[in-house]
Amino acid sequence: MKILQQSRWILLPVVVAALITLPLWGPSYWVLFILLCSLYLAMAQMWNLLVGYSGLISLGQQCFIGLGGYTLAVLSVYYGIPIWLSILIGGVISVLFALIISVPIFRMRGVYFAIGTWIVAEALTICFASWDYVRHGMGLFVKPAYELSLNQIYYAALAMGIGSVILVYILLRSKLGLGLMAMRDDEGASETLGVEIFRSKLFCFLIGAFVTGLAAGVFYLYQIFIQPYTAFSITWMVRLLFIVVIGGIGTIEGPIIGSIIFVLLQQVFAEYIHVGLLLLGSVAIIVMLVAPKGIMGTIQEKLGFEILSPRRK
Amino acid sequence: MLKVRNLDVHYGDFQALWDISIEVGKGKVVSIIGANGSGKSTLLNTIAGLLKPSHGVIEFRGESIHKLGPHEMVARGISLVPEGRRLFPSLTVFENLIIGSYAPRSRKKRDLALGKVYELFPILKERASQMSDTLSGGEQQMLAIARALMSDPSLILFDEISLGLAPLIIKNIYQTVREINQQGITVVLVEQDVKRSLKAANMAYIILEGKVVLQGEPSTLSEKTVREAYFGL
Amino acid sequence: MQDLLQPIMNGILLGGLYAIIGIGLSMIFGIVKLVNLAHGDLMILASYLSLVFMMLLGVPPLVTFVFAVPAMFFIGFVLQAYLINRVLGKGMEPPLILAFGLSIITQNCLLLVFTPDARSLISSLSVTTIQVAGFLNIPVIYLIDFLIGLVVISVLHQFLQKTYMGRAIRAASDDEGAAQLMGINTKNIYAYAMGIAMITAAIAGVLVGMTFTFYPHTGPQYLTIAFGVVIIGGLGSMIGTFLGGIILGLAQLLGGYFLGPGLQLLSGYVILLIVLTVRPQGIFGRVT
Repeated sequence: MKILQQSRWILLPVVVAALITLPLWGPSYWVLFILLCSLYLAMAQMWNLLVGYSGLISLGQQCFIGLGGYTLAVLSVYYGIPIWLSILIGGVISVLFALIISVPIFRMRGVYFAIGTWIVAEALTICFASWDYVRHGMGLFVKPAYELSLNQIYYAALAMGIGSVILVYILLRSKLGLGLMAMRDDEGASETLGVEIFRSKLFCFLIGAFVTGLAAGVFYLYQIFIQPYTAFSITWMVRLLFIVVIGGIGTIEGPIIGSIIFVLLQQVFAEYIHVGLLLLGSVAIIVMLVAPKGIMGTIQEKLGFEILSPRRK
Repeated sequence: MLKVRNLDVHYGDFQALWDISIEVGKGKVVSIIGANGSGKSTLLNTIAGLLKPSHGVIEFRGESIHKLGPHEMVARGISLVPEGRRLFPSLTVFENLIIGSYAPRSRKKRDLALGKVYELFPILKERASQMSDTLSGGEQQMLAIARALMSDPSLILFDEISLGLAPLIIKNIYQTVREINQQGITVVLVEQDVKRSLKAANMAYIILEGKVVLQGEPSTLSEKTVREAYFGL
Repeated sequence: MQDLLQPIMNGILLGGLYAIIGIGLSMIFGIVKLVNLAHGDLMILASYLSLVFMMLLGVPPLVTFVFAVPAMFFIGFVLQAYLINRVLGKGMEPPLILAFGLSIITQNCLLLVFTPDARSLISSLSVTTIQVAGFLNIPVIYLIDFLIGLVVISVLHQFLQKTYMGRAIRAASDDEGAAQLMGINTKNIYAYAMGIAMITAAIAGVLVGMTFTFYPHTGPQYLTIAFGVVIIGGLGSMIGTFLGGIILGLAQLLGGYFLGPGLQLLSGYVILLIVLTVRPQGIFGRVT
């Protein structure tokens, strides 16, 4: 184990190099696999940042997913704005929306916060489904995305995935991160630092919105078709929840493992969506009963090492 | 009646009690005295089943009880008057009392117990239909004690019953403790107030930082030795 | 002005139904301290159970109460005793995740067994209306919803106030440790409380099935209604829950009247968000 820990600075670059060069030597279904993993990873890292480190149990990440996706669709299709710029703007719009709703939402604590975020997403669903501008429930096709190759989308997704890991890694080792972890360990004691906590949480919420919005943009490049009932659906939270919980809440490596397992299962159950979802739900429950810290969390606890995560007691 | 042997209790990584051994004889009054944070409440909570020891044994009437849950203690005749009283604010005075007789064993004797308790604390009968959090500090303490009596216990554990009360009321409370003991109920008192608890006790244990540092019958302990043990001098 | 009376009347009557939907969630939240994200789905499960009983036994929907109620009590009791009790006290996330998992499992099981088709518990009651004052049309089923809502809330209130178990439940929700010191096996009490909550879900499920069409995925929609009731009315108050139901019903129907039927749900959400922001403990709730 010690060897594993110390050699991580050699192993990690090797893995990253392999991923970057994958389209050159790997079959295209591997490329697709890593593409999906990377996107889910990015979204999951953000949710993990919120739930595992900031104590913000958000059940509304799908707000930003839908907004990111729709921004891409509307800007690139209606106004001919270049794809990558549209995605960037999607991220910005997600942040702005997060900022706006943070005003009411951040007044809610704990479980009320979760409910609030979820209700906002449901409200967005109804708004978009009734809005002529986005062709309401019929959805939009991101036609400009047809001109992209799989490899282009792959590199965008990979950048998101790896970028999100690096982002979280840096954040947690910054002053912000240390403050967060202190807060997580004892919210009462750190409440005396009042404003600091609020700003840290808000910052994480906004960053989460931005990255999730970006990742969603790339996702809809691949998915091509967007409609309100799936874009803003709570099912996104089911996926993210599964990924983070299985992998291990509050660890950086957790979502990596979780997203790999998730995309694998998704491929296996492609024909039987509902059985697959049933399995996701059951596994989440079993994990909660048996190993609440998820795969990485339990490993970290038992063997006492970590690859990327800072020490979490 | 109650034997605690080599008890270790941890809160996570922090060890609160170290190798505690205590004996409580039937019908006696035993005082456990120590400063704030010395571990006295931890000890009582462990005996009552709210905490589980990491090592050691608690025996009551020959039976090992340290693995049982708190709700199983009442059935065996152990009752705790917890620190801070922990009355039920959603319940009236009357309801707080009768909930003390919830256990099947105690429920049969409920009316008898209620009568006795009203005799001991007439003010509670007066305030029976009031919400429990409208009572004064002293009355709340009486209610907490009365509630514990409702389960028809053979052993009562009192956790800092004089906390926050005026001296005259404390005097009355201790008088009541004496009366309870005279009725044959074994009493364990946990206190910060050295003088009073020594006066009331047949046997005293002084606890410092989770260890028993002094024990004996109060008549054999000089004030000086007690003070030194209490402060760890 | 007269036009308004119809949605107002409907809103109030539906509020009774909403109160039954919400009281189960409120109980679990207040007593077990769990936000049962699966509450809506379990309620719809009851609707489907009722459908099954109707098909198997050929009885009218209201009679299915006799079967649905004990079935749901049993389900609730077992869920609490063997699953939920195990994750309580392990932090905030595990119980929420468990409930979420239950929600997913229930929805997808129902989808697999019953297909995504719309269902309804049809009876003559669902379609008859009574004419009042010459211009108001009251669907009989709405009236039944309201009356049963009144009955359920009153009975529950009496149960919690006057029975030993009701007092034990109140004590356990005040202070779990102290309740245990009284000899109350709190884990057991939680199982009974969940069972009772599921009884209300059973009643709500049958009524919902008679009042509206339902699909396997309509659970979360009713969960938000339950949330609305709990948040607007506040925890721990029966009257609050009932009034919360009525307010939500009014908000929805008036919103639908002024903004169009598509935005009916949205009006409810907006009211809910406003209350969450301004007064999260609800109208009658205690500030914790």
